[in-house]
Amino acid sequence: MNQPELIVQLQQGDEAAFKKLVDEWQDMVYNTALGIVQNAEDADDITQEVFIQVYKSVSSFKGDSKFSTWLYRITLGKALDHEKKKKRKKRFGFVQSLFGGDGVEQIHAVEFEHPGVQMEKKERANELFSALKQIPDNQRIAFTLHKLEGQSYQQVAEIMNTTLYAVESLMSRAKTNLRKELKNYYNNSIAEK
Amino acid sequence: MNKQEQINKLVEEALNSVDDVQRAATKPYLFTRINARMNKGTETFWEKVGWFIGRPAVAFTGLCMVILINAIVIMNNRPSDSMNSTELAVQTQTDEFSYTVATIYDNENTQP
Repeated sequence: MNQPELIVQLQQGDEAAFKKLVDEWQDMVYNTALGIVQNAEDADDITQEVFIQVYKSVSSFKGDSKFSTWLYRITLGKALDHEKKKKRKKRFGFVQSLFGGDGVEQIHAVEFEHPGVQMEKKERANELFSALKQIPDNQRIAFTLHKLEGQSYQQVAEIMNTTLYAVESLMSRAKTNLRKELKNYYNNSIAEK
Repeated sequence: MNKQEQINKLVEEALNSVDDVQRAATKPYLFTRINARMNKGTETFWEKVGWFIGRPAVAFTGLCMVILINAIVIMNNRPSDSMNSTELAVQTQTDEFSYTVATIYDNENTQP
C-alpha cells in the first residue's frame, strides 16, 4: 500500500491503516519530540498526542505538502506547547516552594542522554543538549531537524515553512550561539578544576 | 595545548557529537497505548470551558474587562460638584419667575 492510498484509507477511518501509519512514522515523531523536549517520558507522551491529532484531523490533510512535512509540523507544535506548559509548571513549582510546598524538585532539570549517541561521544553530546536549551526555539528546531533527523536544509525550510536562505541563517546563528554557550560552560568547568 | 585551544577542541567535539546519531526508538506497544488513550474518553464540555477560561490570556483579558467596566460605571455615577446645564437653567427660571404655589397663607399675609 503506498502513502496516498494509506492516507485515503485513514481518512475513511480505517483502523488498520492507522496502525500501519503509527508503525511507519512512530520513530520519526518520537525522535523529533525527544530532540526538542529532551525527556523520554515527555517525548512518548507527545508522540501519542501527535498520532491522536493525526487521526482526528487527517481529513483536513489536502496533500498540499508532503505527509511527512505535515507530521513534522504537528510534532514540533506539540513539542513546543509541551515545553511552554512545563515552563509554566516550573514557575508554579517555584511559587509553591516559596510557600513551603515540594515544588523544588521540578525546578532542577535532569541531564538528558540521547539514546542514539555513540558511547564515546555521550559526554560531549550531553553538554551540547544542555546548550541547545539556551538558544531560541526556531534555531533549536532547525538544528534538531538537520542534525538529529538528518533532514536537508531544503526539507527543513519546507517543514518550517520558510526559505532555504532563512534556514542557512538559522543554522549559522544556532552554531554561533551554541559555540558561545559551550565556551562559557567549558571555561567555567576548567576554572573549577 | 593552551586553555583556549583545549576549549575550542571541546566545543567542536560537542558540536560534532550528534553528527552520526541514531534515531531514538519508541517504547514497544505504542499503538496499544494510543488506542487506550483514545478510548479513555474526551474532555467534557465544562472541562473544555474550564481549560479555556484558565488560559492566562483569557483570564487576564477577562480581569481587565471587569476592572474597565467597573471604572466606567464608577466614573459615570460619580456625583458632580457643580450643577449641570439643565439643572442650572431650571434653577435660573425658578428664581426669575418665582414658580411657587400660591397658598391661602400667602394671600393673607399682604404685609411685608
